[in-house]
Amino acid sequence: MDNKKYLTILGIETSCDETAASLLKVIPKNKGVRFEIISNVVSSQVSIHRQYGGIVPEMAARAHIGKIIPVIESCLKKMPRAKKLPDLIAVTSGPGLITSLLVGVETAKTLSYVWQKPLLGINHLKGHVAVNFMSGNQQKIFPAVCLIVSGGHSELVLMKNYNQYQKIGQTRDDAAGECFDKVAKLLNIGYPGGPVISQQAEQFGLKIKTIKFSLPRPMINSDNFDFSFSGLKTAVLYLIKKQKHKLSDKKFVQAVCAETQQAIVDVLVSKTMRAAKKFKTKSVILCGGVAANKELRKQLKFQVESLNPEVNFLVPPQNLCTDNAVMIAAAAYFKFKNLTKTQQNRLKNNWQKIKTNPNLEI
Amino acid sequence: MQKFITKSEKQTLALGEKLAHYFQGGEIIGLIGELGAGKTVLIKGMAKQLNINKTITSPTFVLMKVYSINNKQSIIENLVHVDAYRLNSGQDLIEIGLEDWLGKSNTITAIEWADRVKDILPKSKIIVKIKFGKKQNEREIKISNLKSLWKKDTNQ
Repeated sequence: MDNKKYLTILGIETSCDETAASLLKVIPKNKGVRFEIISNVVSSQVSIHRQYGGIVPEMAARAHIGKIIPVIESCLKKMPRAKKLPDLIAVTSGPGLITSLLVGVETAKTLSYVWQKPLLGINHLKGHVAVNFMSGNQQKIFPAVCLIVSGGHSELVLMKNYNQYQKIGQTRDDAAGECFDKVAKLLNIGYPGGPVISQQAEQFGLKIKTIKFSLPRPMINSDNFDFSFSGLKTAVLYLIKKQKHKLSDKKFVQAVCAETQQAIVDVLVSKTMRAAKKFKTKSVILCGGVAANKELRKQLKFQVESLNPEVNFLVPPQNLCTDNAVMIAAAAYFKFKNLTKTQQNRLKNNWQKIKTNPNLEI
Repeated sequence: MQKFITKSEKQTLALGEKLAHYFQGGEIIGLIGELGAGKTVLIKGMAKQLNINKTITSPTFVLMKVYSINNKQSIIENLVHVDAYRLNSGQDLIEIGLEDWLGKSNTITAIEWADRVKDILPKSKIIVKIKFGKKQNEREIKISNLKSLWKKDTNQ
């Protein structure tokens, strides 16, 4: 095959507290394409923000500025010899923290101008979805229902093809990941909440049926695809307010974690399955930072497989659930492919048009 | 300082609606209260009164959300919802561009965890303190500087 026929995409992601860059190779194969991750560099700031129980915008921006160039440079070291520069640059333009987004966007614009290479602004949420389309059988995906769950989002999206996203449900208050964070804060067990709660729940083991209290499953029976997690947080607050002395009891804290996690998983799984049935989807996609949660992966997979063995369950490997730039490059490929040749050629000057939007919707 | 007791989430929401009924534009509302106190619920009530159809979701993650209002009869065009939960000073809010909105006559700014960003709030702010009541779901809500709002009521 002609070596130059493949496409290399440089992905850049700085929407929150990870400074990330990736180099993705898209190789034509039969009628479709094959994706190869050449490099995937993620520099996390979690340790900086842990002591504050969340991301501090000004510190995040400073850390991004310090890391962005070394991260991109280390990515480009693996550039195939046949090419000196990537064919396309992709950067997250939203949603996210404005001060963080700006670092990636301004860097990408500069590279696009200096290298004279096309630039695409990518919706971070579409990145979380697109990373699922990089492997396996591409035939039986659509229609698909995607559950996107992270620290800032909990959304159900219906897809009819690679570029058509229709939001059918979302959280009415807190995101699932935010609920994990806030419950962890109430229990005083650390940040980020998702991994700590999942770990504590795991230590509690399979004795979940022995838990004497129960937490609500907000909106689980409501006839729509929306979520609500604020009430769950308040229920945990009431539960521990009554028995503050128990916060030093390891078993009690583990039990609260196990029940909180199960409540969140129950609601997410139930609403997703309802959507899969209603729209008779050919696949169910789970993605976003919270998709790294083992119980959620396991239980949703089980439900999808029990519904119909013909329905595919797609979930990224854990390292591609949390924020990364591979997903941004992947989303860029599908967006790029959907453009006409003229539109593709115009992207060289696109850097002037790209704007950050912290509240960008899918 | 005026004190209200609400007995349910619904009543807290209704109080938010009632407050917003008196907004004239440019108000800055600072909300203070623990996790789960009902700060967001009160703001949902305000949004309802202001005719915002979009769902008001927690801005904890992005710190600030701007909702535009399409009501030709009102000069209020935006509701800015801010969450200072993890901030140490108001400087962080200046950096994300809050000054573009704060106190503008066509904008209502509602700030959760306002006690963390006192340094950038003007004297004219309305402070809402929410505490848990004795009974479950009961809330004690104290609102300062209400006079500026009631004025409109007496003029009518």
